[in-house]
Parts: sequence; C-alpha cells; structure tokens
Amino acid sequence: MRLPEWESLAPWVVGLSSMALLVLIWELAGTRDVALTTVMPPPSQFLSMVIESDFRIGLGSQSATLDEAIFATFSRVFTGMFLAFVAAIATGALISLSRFATWSLSPLLYVLAPIAPIAWIPTAIVVFGISNVTAVFIVFMGVYFILTIGTLAEIRRVPQEYLTISGNLGANRWQQWVYVVLPSIFPGVFTLLRTNFIAAWMAVLVAEMVGLRDGLGAIIMMGRNLFNNELIMFGMLVIGLSGFVVDRTLAFIGNKVLWWRVK
Amino acid sequence: MSTVETDQAVFRIENLSINFPGKRQPVPSPLQGLNLSIYENQITTILGQSGCGKSTLLNALGGFVIGEDSGGVLYRQRYMNGPLEEIVMIFQENNLYPWLSVAGNVKFGLRFRKHDAVDIKTTVSNMLESVGLNDAAGAYPHQLSGGMRQRTAIARALITKPKVLLLDEPFSALDISLKRRMHGLLRSLQEETGTSMVMVTHDVEEAITVGDRVLVLGGNPAKVLVDADTSAGDMRDRYSNAYLQLQKQIEDVIY
Repeated sequence: MRLPEWESLAPWVVGLSSMALLVLIWELAGTRDVALTTVMPPPSQFLSMVIESDFRIGLGSQSATLDEAIFATFSRVFTGMFLAFVAAIATGALISLSRFATWSLSPLLYVLAPIAPIAWIPTAIVVFGISNVTAVFIVFMGVYFILTIGTLAEIRRVPQEYLTISGNLGANRWQQWVYVVLPSIFPGVFTLLRTNFIAAWMAVLVAEMVGLRDGLGAIIMMGRNLFNNELIMFGMLVIGLSGFVVDRTLAFIGNKVLWWRVK
Repeated sequence: MSTVETDQAVFRIENLSINFPGKRQPVPSPLQGLNLSIYENQITTILGQSGCGKSTLLNALGGFVIGEDSGGVLYRQRYMNGPLEEIVMIFQENNLYPWLSVAGNVKFGLRFRKHDAVDIKTTVSNMLESVGLNDAAGAYPHQLSGGMRQRTAIARALITKPKVLLLDEPFSALDISLKRRMHGLLRSLQEETGTSMVMVTHDVEEAITVGDRVLVLGGNPAKVLVDADTSAGDMRDRYSNAYLQLQKQIEDVIY
C-alpha cells in the first residue's frame, strides 16, 4: 500500500521542501545583492562562521557555547510555564470553590491580564536584579493570567453530569476536584499553555536581550554590539528552530498524554 | 421475577412543591402538589409528554432538587435534603469519564469505599462479565458503541450496590435492536441485584416491557394519569392483548 505511506510522509516532505526553497531563494539573492548579504547573510555564510568558531558565541571570558545558551533559555521558559500552569490551576480551583476568592481575585485577574509581559521587565530587573528569577518572572507574568482565565472557562465547561455521578458514587468535594475536575480541565488548559508558549518564548527572549547576558536572546544583542550580522542571523535561526521543536513537543504531549476531550 | 410489594414504598412523594429560579420570581414546576409512592424491588417506568416534569421528578428522587417546606420526597420515610450515596443516577449522555477505560470507569466508585485491591479486581471483573463487557475492559469510551457505553454506566452504578438506580432516558440514543437487548439486560440485573429502579422514558414500548409498574404523568399541575401494574409475564410480549390494550390506553392519554 504505497499511497497511505506517501500520505503520512507528505506533510514532512512538503514542509521541508518549502523551507529548502526559502533557503535557496535566500542563497541566490545573496549571490546577486551584496547589500542584502551584509544585512541578511545567507545560511552558508553564517553557518560556516559559527562552525569555524566551534559553536562558541561571544568574545573572551564572556563567551558561551550554543548548548549553554539554549539550555539557559529553555530552563527559564519551562520553569516559568510550569509555575504558571500550577498557579493557574490552583487559582482556578480557589476561585471556583470560594465566592470570597471570586470577588477578591477576579477583578485583579482581568486588570493585570492585558499588561504585556514585556512591560514587567523594568520592574522585574529592579526587584530581582539581572538574574534567572527575572526571566522566569517575565514568563510567568506572560502566561499566568491568560491561563487562569482559561482554566476558569474550562472549569465552567465540566459537564454537571460528571459531578453528579461522582457525588452519587461517594466522592466528597475534594475528591471530585482531584478525580473529576482536574482530569476534565487538564487537556484544555494544556492546549492553552501550548498556544501561550509563543508569548512566553518572546517574553524571555526580550528579557535576555535587554538585561541578561546569556541565552538565545543575548546572542542577538551580542551580534548587534559586535556589528556581526552573521551572529544575528544565526541567533534568529536557532530561536526559530528551538521554538518549533518545543511547540511540536508540547503538541505531542497534548496528543499522547492528555488526549481526551470533554464535550 | 420481581414482585410488586405495594406496602413497601421506597419513595413517598407528598404534595411536592418545586420552584425553579425565574427572572423576577420563582417559577413553579408542573409537579406542584404531586402525590405518589414508588415501591421497593421493582422497576418503575415514568412516561409523559415533554415538559410534564418527568426529569424534574427524577432529580427530586435523587435529591438534586429539594421540595419546599410544605411537602417533598420521603426516602424510606425520611425527608430528603440532598443526594444520597445509595441512590445513583444514570443519564442519557456524559455518563463516562473519557480519560478512564471501561474497567477504570466501572471501579471509579470503589475508590471512595473501603475495598482491598484483590477484592476490587474480582468485583470489577464479575461486574463486567454480568454486563458482557469483559473483552472491552481496556477500551476507552470513545472506542465504544452507544450500547456499550450505557452498559458501562450501568455496571459502574451497580458495582457500588446502590439501593436505588435512577435512569433518565438512558437508551434513547440507541437503535431499536440494541435498545431491546439493553431492556433484557436491565431486567435481569434488577432481578439479580434486587435494586429498585426508576426510569424516565419517552418510549411506550420500553416503559411497558421493562417496567413492573408504569406511571403516566400529565396535566398542569401534573397528575398520575395512568398507574399500571406491568409485572405480569404477558406484558413482556408486545403482541399480547394485555400489552396492546395498555399501549393504546397510554397513547390515548399522552397524544
């Protein structure tokens, strides 16, 4: 059966072909336009530069390897997202279980949610200094409010029958939360987390650009400070590819681990 | 064969008064002033036109809606003021937790009671066998047919040994042949366990062939328009005179 095999490979083949076509156009444009090559050096140029430097970025004692930069950014993003995920579910639980919590926390949520995570950077640097905590805080602020509002919506969507049945079968309110509400809302909240990953990713990159000295965002700033467009292009490529890999990983977790849907 | 024990009322509904919240003032349900007894160890089926309050009555029996002070539902001679563990409800849909397998759904209620692990395994296995789902123990709800889903829901309800099972149009989404198989299963489970069952349905055939007693509600405020003993064997035969006469009587009242 050749057709189904081809059909399963088609998205990969077409996706990789479109990327290859973009690189080809970029390379061809680079051979014809010197000005463009200076601002946007093609992959053959910036990749050879990075390979020559043995994937070491920066100068002297402040230089770092590529894997260190990726690890720094990833650990900040995932720590911030994990904390936001846990905090959003805890807040959602609190608000849905207590009217007092609803009255006191709901207005705060809706006032703070529209503030862009980038706007928190100056305050965070003053409070936490130039450190990992600042980056984690920025990611947290970028995801937490949206995720909490989404969690509340998911809690409201839990079918009443689920709660009635569990109550009938002997579950108390706490057990209903653990065994019914949490599994009901996990897939939806996780999907929301995935869609907000891009916001968290951008927030941490900006934090790395404006303050922190390491991470993928810092590669771009280093390139700017050294007037090194190859480094800037390389940083952009790594950021794009890393973001893509994380998004696919989150999608995989969503499809394989939290696969069920509550109607 | 279950018997009609008219002296043992599991539920006694006295001058029922249930109000729904309205925009300005509470809206009374059509069941205002209803008086009715439902007996132990039999299947009572309830028929009636849409909006006559059948499902509200079932919710009142389950303790999910509570009557006003002037009347209410007595369960074994005590006024109900909320849901009880010994009364379990099965709905038309949304009965199963999609993240749990058939076996996981069936044993769901046991985790809130004291059972040792070996005991749970045997109990679940026996219950799955009684509803013919042993081969589907590891399947998830989205992989099941409508009938298998409802059988799982019934198994999960019965495994906790409830005294009363309330069924809100549980087979309305099934095709006719599957429905008839489910009727047989429900009857045999009732005879096996002695659980009192109350089932709301729109289907006259289902009401007569499954029930030991058929109640037809109608009017506003609602009254019991037909109260028929259907426990005799010829009521299970859809071509018997007794069945056809009762069917005609009910259809004349409803339509």
